Amino acid sequence: MATPTVARCWRCQDEHRPQVFCPACEALQPLPPDIDYFTLFGLARHPRLDEQALAQTYYELSRQLHPDLHQTGTAQEREASLQNTALVNRAYRTLRDPVQRGRYWLALNGEPLGKENNKVPPALALFVFEVQEKLAAVREARPAETEGTQDALAGLRAEMTQVRDDLDDRMRDLQHRLAANFSKWGQADGSSALLSELKRVLSEMAYLRTLTRDVEKALSIL
Amino acid sequence: MAYTERVVEHYERPRNVGSFAAEEGNVGTGVVGAPECGDVMKLQLKINPQTEVIEDAKFKTFGCGSAIASSSYVTELVKGKTVAEAGAIKNTEIVTELALPPVKIHCSVLAEDAIKAAVADWRDRAEGAGAPKKDAA
Repeated sequence: MATPTVARCWRCQDEHRPQVFCPACEALQPLPPDIDYFTLFGLARHPRLDEQALAQTYYELSRQLHPDLHQTGTAQEREASLQNTALVNRAYRTLRDPVQRGRYWLALNGEPLGKENNKVPPALALFVFEVQEKLAAVREARPAETEGTQDALAGLRAEMTQVRDDLDDRMRDLQHRLAANFSKWGQADGSSALLSELKRVLSEMAYLRTLTRDVEKALSIL
Repeated sequence: MAYTERVVEHYERPRNVGSFAAEEGNVGTGVVGAPECGDVMKLQLKINPQTEVIEDAKFKTFGCGSAIASSSYVTELVKGKTVAEAGAIKNTEIVTELALPPVKIHCSVLAEDAIKAAVADWRDRAEGAGAPKKDAA
């Protein structure tokens, strides 16, 4: 995912670094589809970013690129306006969410999270297993609810609430670890240890997120 | 995507579901998870400490049909094998048996990991109990 460093204006042939408007003739330019999202928003390539600056640039770009503004432009400009808008929206959604940004950062570093490369620690697998067993107990308890099993249901509800609180705590802890990992990039220590840690954290977050959804669903029917 | 016949067969009639009683000895337990799909798999092996032959196996999996079928098949596959033989089982054997499509290969990897984790757990316990130390297979 190397970002092209030079773009040529479709109208005046000026060569410049990829940007939305040609610095020479001000024509709207199609952005290279594989431009990296940090470069797109004029940010340093670093996972810790200034969220305010990101949002501000996003709104600015959205305004400048808005297809309504380019209705009277040439076919190239209309097309560029549409494609750039879609790209900018996608890039913004990715960068503003730390989890998405982390996963994007892994991909930029050539190690995208896949189904094969994200082992979780045994203790976490065991935790997930135990929660799944409780969820199975909830599913089994439902058909019998008419037969005066209110106490049993209340017990399950209390247990599920406890599980959800536990999951919230774990998720908060992971968010802190994610932020800590982001701020370490670019410092003296090698990036391979940081990459592994980032993978671990994001894998655990993906795992717990799915589980949290299941727990919320169980709570909603209890 | 449709599941293959073999997957459906294991899914509908899973073999050896459950777990061994907590007080039962000579059992190795492996719990492994797949964060991207949310699956989790528990495999338990009951191992004869003298011969190191796997005499029984049980599993419980929360996940998709392929994950359940993979672990169900593994419990059949390992029975009667020595720990060393079971440790050498490759996920490709599971893929072939169940005709898993490429997007479900990770389920077979998970099942292979579960065998290794269960064997490692059994060794840890055996060594902790003062049994003669053996090289890991």
